[in-house]
Amino acid sequence: MGSVSGWLGERIPLRGAELRELTNEPVPYHLKRWWWCLGGTPAYLFVVQIVTGILLAFYYKAAPETAYESVRYITEEAAFGWFIRSLHKWAAQLMIAAVVLHQMRVYFTGAYRKPREINWMVGMTLLVCTLLTGFTGYSLVYEQLSYWGATVGANITDSVPLAGGFLKSLLLGGDGYNDHTLSRFYILHAAVLPVSMLLLLMVHITLIRLQGVTEFKFKDEPQGESRTFSFFPDHFYTELIIGLSLMILLAFLATVLPATMGPKADPLTTPEVIKPEWFFYVAFRWLKLFSETAAILSMGFVLFVMFLWPFVDGWIRRRWPASEASVWIGIGGVLAIIGLTVWEAAVAH
Amino acid sequence: MVEVQSTESVPADGPGRRRFLATASTLAMAGGLAAGYGSCAAMGGRFLYPARPVTMAWQFVIAVDRLRPGESVSYRAPNGERIAVARQGSGEAPEDFVALGSTCPHLGCQVHWEAQNDRFFCPCHNGVFTAAGLGVEGPPAGMSLPRFRLKVEAGLLYIEVAMEQLA
Repeated sequence: MGSVSGWLGERIPLRGAELRELTNEPVPYHLKRWWWCLGGTPAYLFVVQIVTGILLAFYYKAAPETAYESVRYITEEAAFGWFIRSLHKWAAQLMIAAVVLHQMRVYFTGAYRKPREINWMVGMTLLVCTLLTGFTGYSLVYEQLSYWGATVGANITDSVPLAGGFLKSLLLGGDGYNDHTLSRFYILHAAVLPVSMLLLLMVHITLIRLQGVTEFKFKDEPQGESRTFSFFPDHFYTELIIGLSLMILLAFLATVLPATMGPKADPLTTPEVIKPEWFFYVAFRWLKLFSETAAILSMGFVLFVMFLWPFVDGWIRRRWPASEASVWIGIGGVLAIIGLTVWEAAVAH
Repeated sequence: MVEVQSTESVPADGPGRRRFLATASTLAMAGGLAAGYGSCAAMGGRFLYPARPVTMAWQFVIAVDRLRPGESVSYRAPNGERIAVARQGSGEAPEDFVALGSTCPHLGCQVHWEAQNDRFFCPCHNGVFTAAGLGVEGPPAGMSLPRFRLKVEAGLLYIEVAMEQLA
């Protein structure tokens, strides 16, 4: 045994103490609260997505003639295919929900403030990547709704000023949805976006590690005791509990509400009632309320302000030091998102 | 005995020339790398950017005398798009006919004809068009359903349409 560890130690010159320093980051006491575990949740679900995604890729065939049939095969014939596809679908839904909740937690606790502005921007990019992965993944099923969702999405890029036409052609591989389109969505969904997210996640976590977690002090915390605890094993165990609970929840959702097959895409008939996935309800309703250019420019503007929010917030607080503007703007934003989502969910058109 | 002078002891524009050579070679190397990788990136970009333009062609629709003023026919283009071709005047010029496509000018969904409301309706973002194809409600208000070019030759009506197949 000693000779094996000696042999390994020579080839991987990393000592236990160094490893412990890497993993035993002291984390502030408030991380015992569950709200502060929402960052680890999407990370865990991301791993679930990679594993189930690789499994699905063994059978999925990205072409208009074969896509729908291959998804049907996975769902109806391949052993446990229905379960793996349903896990993939539900983990995607939960991942988006968890990313949004994580972002809200960071926003309302002001954890994006100096010196963590860059990490907020990395996080915003991760949010956009997550939404794009959801969009491209949904399109791959080649159902009626996913086909028309993809068409609308591609035409939205078309109305981006200046670069729109170029972006649309690049995304679709032609002027309209054609036989190259699905493979482009597939490669974006299964390679480009996940690899980008992996790299961004590494930067995200490295920055957290370098800056440390923002410290908060709550009244009900034990006074006079140590204000930090060790990441490993204490916080790791918390994350492990979350991971297990998520697995139970995912298995439950996948079994009770499995992913089904809608009608196959028909490029010549838009269904009478058409909806995107719930996380795009806001954008879909917004597009109905305003003209194309106004809707897209305003959505772009909102995303841009969100991206630069730490600096906007910094400017507001320098100007009006006592203001609680960020909280009120945040509450307004959340209410608007909920309102538009519920509105879109409640009506057929 | 030959006296060997060290090159370092020659001050005549030595360091200046060396600095120039160092800068020039750094620039040449950086330029070469940028040009090399840049052309690879350009080739990759060109590879990804679709080269195929849409091919348009004239297709036969109907003999002019089989379509009376006020009547319309539904024409299915080679790419599958449904086009309503109507005769508006009694003449035989292309202006006496109109061809309206079914693709919504807003974000590309297919509109349906609602006979009971005498309108085209787009289910994606609630766009409403008159029978003449003019957007009157919703985001495409003020836009028109796509109009296709028509021509009449020897009493036959032709339409110019895209030949590409929809996926």
